[in-house]
Amino acid sequence: MSANRLTCEEAFRRLDDYLDRELGPGETAEVRRHLEVCAMCAGEFGIEAEVLDAVREKLRRIAAPPDLMAAISAKLAAARQSEG
Amino acid sequence: MVASHLARGIFSLGRRHLRRIGSLPRGTMAQPTRDAQRATEFEALLEPILAGAYGLALQLTRNRADAEDLVQEAALLAFRGFEGFERGTNFRAWFFRILTNTFLSGRRKRRPEAEAVPFEDVPVAYMQRQAREIASAEQAGDLVRAVLGKLETEEVTAAIEALPEEFRLVAALYFVRDSSYQEISEILGIPVGTVRSRLHRGRRLLQKRLWQIAQDHGLVAGAAPGEGRTG
Repeated sequence: MSANRLTCEEAFRRLDDYLDRELGPGETAEVRRHLEVCAMCAGEFGIEAEVLDAVREKLRRIAAPPDLMAAISAKLAAARQSEG
Repeated sequence: MVASHLARGIFSLGRRHLRRIGSLPRGTMAQPTRDAQRATEFEALLEPILAGAYGLALQLTRNRADAEDLVQEAALLAFRGFEGFERGTNFRAWFFRILTNTFLSGRRKRRPEAEAVPFEDVPVAYMQRQAREIASAEQAGDLVRAVLGKLETEEVTAAIEALPEEFRLVAALYFVRDSSYQEISEILGIPVGTVRSRLHRGRRLLQKRLWQIAQDHGLVAGAAPGEGRTG
């Protein structure tokens, strides 16, 4: 029913928590209902999700230096020897 | 004499050390012991999350050499406490917590006073708002997508590194392998509500910095305020 519908402002206040799936089931459903009937908010929420995904995706391209695992293995071996 | 006795001791320790290294060349398992098995198990768990751990360390330390040192130090501490790791639980969360605590512990030693963060209130959906200043509402989304597509990993990393520390720690944990609010709360030892407010503010600041970088690099029209550059 329309009495339960969120306004655009109310939906936007929940934007961050909604995108992070940190809202409870009731509020999640309310935001989803709003996005189903408000194309403007749906578009803006979608772009915000893309911003977050793009940042994550770029950070995932960071590779560990090629010799880091070997350096750690050597350090652990040395620690085991000195402690054993 | 005392000095020669000490020297003999150091020498014999060195020879014993060398004998051990010689008897256990890396990559061989001549005498598989419980300790060696523990090391193998630890390294097998660490290797798949190493890139994420290094990425997190890079954003915490803002320096490649310090990031490598931090990961190595955390690995050593984690290995020493590996008996306390409950098998079958989340190794990544466990290791990231140790890594973050190692960083925080080192930072406290270097700078005991917490840095004051000036309040900067950035509106939600900052990039979209800025895009609408120079493009129609219909084209704003495409403009934001285009900017994101052109930004390099180094520029995104630099934008996170430039955040005030209280936001940077939370943002780094959030963006590196999708830590939940609860997980970040446990790692940093702060309430979930604090994680939420810092993360939301930090993300807005991050959008502002990304937009400024895009302006500085001429990816969108207009210069950042006070920069005096044209796009």
